[in-house]
Amino acid sequence: MSEHGEGHSESYQRIRSKKRLAEILEVATSFEQKAYEFYTSLIPKVSKRIRYLVEELAEEEKGHYEMFSGLASNPDIVALLRDEIETPVEDHKFSDHIHLPDLGENPDDQAILQYALSREDAAMKQYRDLADHTGPGAIHDLFEYLANEETKHKRELEAMYYEIVHSGGP
Amino acid sequence: MSGISYKSKGSILNPLKNLAFLGRGSVTEPLEPREASANYRGFHVNDWELCIGCSTCQKVCDNAAITMVKIPGLPEDPVKGVRNERPAIDYGRCCWCGLCVDICPTGSLALSREYVHTCREDELDSYFVLPDPNGIHGHYFPKGWDKSVDADLVDLERQPMTEMESGERIGSFAEIVAGYSDQQAIIEASRCVQCGMCHDSCPTHMHAPEYIRAIWEGNLDEAVRQIYRTNPFSHICGRVCTRRCETACSIGRRGDPVAIRWLKRYAMDSVSDERVREIAAEGKVDYLTGRKVAVIGAGPAGLTAAFDLVKKGHEVTVYEALEKAGGMTRYGIPEYRLPYDRLDADVAVITSLGVGIRYNTRVGRDVTMQQLQQEYDAVLIALGLQMGRSTRIPGSDHENVRRSVELLRMITEGEKFDIPDSAVVIGGGNVAMDIARSLARLQRQAYGEVRVTVVALEDFDHFLADPEEVKEAREEGVEILDSRGPKGCVIDGQGELQGLKTLGVLSIFDEKGRFAPSYDESDEQFHPGHMVIEAIGQMTDTALLGDKLTEQLEWNRGRLRVDEEGHTSVSWLWAAGDMVTGPDVVHAVADGHRVAASIDSTLAD
Repeated sequence: MSEHGEGHSESYQRIRSKKRLAEILEVATSFEQKAYEFYTSLIPKVSKRIRYLVEELAEEEKGHYEMFSGLASNPDIVALLRDEIETPVEDHKFSDHIHLPDLGENPDDQAILQYALSREDAAMKQYRDLADHTGPGAIHDLFEYLANEETKHKRELEAMYYEIVHSGGP
Repeated sequence: MSGISYKSKGSILNPLKNLAFLGRGSVTEPLEPREASANYRGFHVNDWELCIGCSTCQKVCDNAAITMVKIPGLPEDPVKGVRNERPAIDYGRCCWCGLCVDICPTGSLALSREYVHTCREDELDSYFVLPDPNGIHGHYFPKGWDKSVDADLVDLERQPMTEMESGERIGSFAEIVAGYSDQQAIIEASRCVQCGMCHDSCPTHMHAPEYIRAIWEGNLDEAVRQIYRTNPFSHICGRVCTRRCETACSIGRRGDPVAIRWLKRYAMDSVSDERVREIAAEGKVDYLTGRKVAVIGAGPAGLTAAFDLVKKGHEVTVYEALEKAGGMTRYGIPEYRLPYDRLDADVAVITSLGVGIRYNTRVGRDVTMQQLQQEYDAVLIALGLQMGRSTRIPGSDHENVRRSVELLRMITEGEKFDIPDSAVVIGGGNVAMDIARSLARLQRQAYGEVRVTVVALEDFDHFLADPEEVKEAREEGVEILDSRGPKGCVIDGQGELQGLKTLGVLSIFDEKGRFAPSYDESDEQFHPGHMVIEAIGQMTDTALLGDKLTEQLEWNRGRLRVDEEGHTSVSWLWAAGDMVTGPDVVHAVADGHRVAASIDSTLAD
């Protein structure tokens, strides 16, 4: 790439390095919604033996989706929606994972859990990065809260993973 | 007595003085007692914190002066060997011999220096006392006769088991344990106090006190008879049982628990296979019910159920996918722990009763579940956990990354595979030890040295494998590393597996106490190995059920949902064993009995 080209890319990146909170929440909400839709569509495809797992994941994502939707209409948050947020360079984690990787026609419980864990991990890191890139205040607290929520969910999934995969099942 | 002068005498008015007693009750402590000697045998005291309610005191008392009383609110946990009972003493019967103190396994019971107690006629029950540490009147008295080394009737030391030295045993798959001699067995049996804690804790409630007593009496036929009351896999359980009985054994409170497993092994090995078959056949009905039962899987659960059902007169056919019976006990446990001929002996008892086994017949391929449903009155599925889980870490799809259950099966069947000159085993349970020690033997035979490393997530304080297994594996040259989590398999440019990378484990439990390891990314290690074996967890392959039946059945978080009797949500199908209760031979045996009783009851309706 030429110097000019590289400089152009950098300036473009700078332009894109700020997003409105509304945009970020919209992407995040979409992330959770698509996950919910994905798990819901997966339910009839997997063996009834492990369907509980996908049902629980769908339910969890539904909860997240509702939480994000609620946030977007929360008066305290609405006032901040137009604020611009410095986004980290690695602002691609959500979009990578929104294009859900193919789990195949008949995934087993371990594959489903690994998939879910990778999603939670991406979301957790994304919110943590966003929190790190915002100064003290309501928006920072919001991202911290979201990061903690995703961390908690990831830990739940990890415990379930070890219970199922490393000990022969619950 | 303060109101009456004992010096008064001789007066004609004396009879009138008796009027002073009118309307007065007697007293329980009429005189200030003299101080008793240091080892006086007065009223009992019992330390309720130490007492486990084992009832050994009750059993030793020839005067029947002791009654075990249930105390609501006290902990009761058969697995830990704790009953919510405490001894009550009838001082109308007690002779203060102190045997109860001398035999008390925990040392909770003692005699105090308190010896005075009287009562009114309507208080005779006050001679029936539930001792606690405070004495019968709530006043402190020092202990009198107490547990002492000289008078202790409990033998705290177990008879040693002769085992092959590591240098000798690593050269073959010969059984390591030699077994007890007659003399050792009798001495070991004499250590048992017949409390029955073992019986309570055993999943199948084996009559261990009874068979141990029979061994002590030298009546080995009777010992086998008592064993077969609840366990048709007695050679197996005499060798590889997880022996919860020994954890609960009251003697283990202060010393070595009685070697209950080895005593069972001794009894079974001492009686000829033919005689065992005769004893096992006792109680078999002499008629046929005309009802047919199919059992899928010839492991401990399936064959125990078959044993019970055939004795009830039902026709039982077992479908086994592999060449021989035994399930995971044969294909998952190395021969140095469980010789195949002893396993065969257990199976032969069951087939001698008329149970038919169709070997090399895989349900789902050679016969369908629908056919079984049509041909039989009841079907029991007892598949075991025959599939190994994979870590699915990077590189784990390499051809030299193998599952422990697969390799153990191949070793049992004598199937050839390239013995790796170095290997890394992932896992910290008994299966990991089994494959590590098996590979160590094969390496010694092939290369003259052992190069096996075991990496486990757990630290040694939380290790899953039996301490004996860990100790013996180390003696055989296996390197065991704790607190290491697998990160990835290392494959070189030529596509050859070179080993495993691991990360240090910071913690293994989360804040809720669940197993959820966290790793230290800065603590990475490489373990060389041309084979990596995953021994992390096992699961059941339920594909044989087919989609339709799988949909029909109810499931419980990945396992078949069954009721307390092992009945699935489909009327003709029961499930038992590892696939329902998790991996454990004696639990599978218990499950087999429970399900057989349910099937028998259903067929009788």
